[in-house]
Amino acid sequence: MFTLKYKDDLFKFILSVFVLSVVLIFLISVIIILYYSYPSVIRYGISFLWTKEWNPPKEVFGALTFIAGTFIVTFLALLFAIPFSFGIGIFLQEYCPYFLRGIFTVIVEMLAGIPSVVFGVWGVLTIVPWLRESVEPFFDAHFSSIPFLKVEENIGYGILAASIIVAFMILPIISSITKDSLASVPKLAKDGALAMGATKLDVIKDVSLPYALNGIYGGIILGFGRAIGETIAVVLLIGNQAVVPKSLFSVGYTISSLLANTFTFAVISPIYASAEVELALVLLLTSLIVNIIGRNILNRVIGGRFSRSQFGGG
Amino acid sequence: MEQQSHEPVFPANRGYLKRKKFYNNVAVFFAITAFIIGSFPVFHIIYKAVSIGYKYLNWHFISTLPTGFPIGAEGGILNAVIGDLYLIVIASILAVPIGIGTGLYLSLFGKKRVNGFLRLLNELMIGIPSIVWGIVGFYVFSTNAGPGFHFGFSALAGGLTLGFIMTPIITLLTEQAVNQIPASYIEGALALGATKWQATRAVILKAALGGIFTGILLGVMNIIGQTAPLLFTNYYNTGMPTGVTGPGGAVGDLAMLIFIYIHEPSKILHYKAEAASVVLLFFIFALDLGLRLINYLAKRFIL
Repeated sequence: MFTLKYKDDLFKFILSVFVLSVVLIFLISVIIILYYSYPSVIRYGISFLWTKEWNPPKEVFGALTFIAGTFIVTFLALLFAIPFSFGIGIFLQEYCPYFLRGIFTVIVEMLAGIPSVVFGVWGVLTIVPWLRESVEPFFDAHFSSIPFLKVEENIGYGILAASIIVAFMILPIISSITKDSLASVPKLAKDGALAMGATKLDVIKDVSLPYALNGIYGGIILGFGRAIGETIAVVLLIGNQAVVPKSLFSVGYTISSLLANTFTFAVISPIYASAEVELALVLLLTSLIVNIIGRNILNRVIGGRFSRSQFGGG
Repeated sequence: MEQQSHEPVFPANRGYLKRKKFYNNVAVFFAITAFIIGSFPVFHIIYKAVSIGYKYLNWHFISTLPTGFPIGAEGGILNAVIGDLYLIVIASILAVPIGIGTGLYLSLFGKKRVNGFLRLLNELMIGIPSIVWGIVGFYVFSTNAGPGFHFGFSALAGGLTLGFIMTPIITLLTEQAVNQIPASYIEGALALGATKWQATRAVILKAALGGIFTGILLGVMNIIGQTAPLLFTNYYNTGMPTGVTGPGGAVGDLAMLIFIYIHEPSKILHYKAEAASVVLLFFIFALDLGLRLINYLAKRFIL
């Protein structure tokens, strides 16, 4: 009996060591980002976030350009992705014939599995020429008086190209969570409405959506968290010029693409590296806050079940 | 009188019903359109990659090292395929034990509050952007100044950083798999006097095997597509690694190869980047198929 009890304690002890190492990985990550961004946080203060000039040789660092770029790309991507993922979720859960639902869901999950770099290359070869040859000339000819839609350089690269690709990348996560939230609606409520003579649209509008709305919000929030950190596809598409984008078609720079392009040079100068790590801190804190909110909502609505699309390639 | 009974009770509602059906059809149309546009990239990405890279898709491309000028103009992508194997093995050595162990702890031992905290921690780790992992990996493993392991830009540094990304995926899917086992299985074993370790070995690991493998394969699928964490921990090597740390320890990587080739001005490298995309997508979809098969077999024969 002693040996059995002993073995069980040993088992629990070993598992606890594994648990501790997960906690340790998390703590080390946060501590490293805090530790290496500390000099920059002290030196530039909070105004780092809204100062525009970024001049490494003079050691003047302000992050406004990159923070603006990141959030503009993220919001545009959400703007594009939300209606489509809404439609996809509703289609898969409510309208799709049962025998096709499996294969169609697999297609959406395949979209989640495609790596960021492959999306980026596809964007360079497909979306950029399309924007350059069809979309931008069209807008230039008809809408050039609207400042928000002004085409500055007709090159195709820019925040529009980046946000279209990021929208495709967050599409699977939002649509699969929309689908799961709709699936969590009690069948009795839906059947009741159908028995009263409601069409499927009525059921979706008056029964399913009010019930599933919180889960959908959770999905959108997670999509936001995914979009702000998107790196490789954005590096390939955004044009990488440190300007605050003024129109849909202008080039820009995001936090993640700046880090990808310059961090290896930045480590030579401690304060330069520190400023870049502070940008990573902005990303990290945003993603932590966004994920705490999103996961809390989802755990309440769909019980924290994980669909495949939430582990998409990086 | 007989004929009148076939008339609708409220004739005025006829148009109303028609309108409702029409709106429903409009909604169906929009939902289908959204699905078609949303799934268009899957097919177009594969089509584009195959149509551009098809001439390089042969055994020679996979089995030779890149040569020529600029490097990669001749030869294949063997360095990247071998390098991916290195990275997968190193990441798995870190992530598989920790992930399975933590997942088992969460579903067997943890108290409710501790569990909620640990789950949230893992969910947050999934949400951390990959570029941030890259910077963490650089300061923990690669940097040669300050505290850290000083592995340099190497397979070990890159692989362990990818292991950080892989761990929470395996943890959460292991926990989910164990929680899906009917409680009676575990309670039956415990009622017979088995300790938790015996129950785990004899019942839980067997019943949850499908789910645990799903977690591992999903983790591998995720990390072979990662580029950003490798930028600062491993970068790229056009030849074979001579070790796993220090100079000569860096390995090639498919995602990184595509990223580097597409930046080059040479057209031939763009074609090769697309051919390498086909290889990468092939690996990812093969893993995808494999894990669906495992899931199916596990549902069929184990549970």
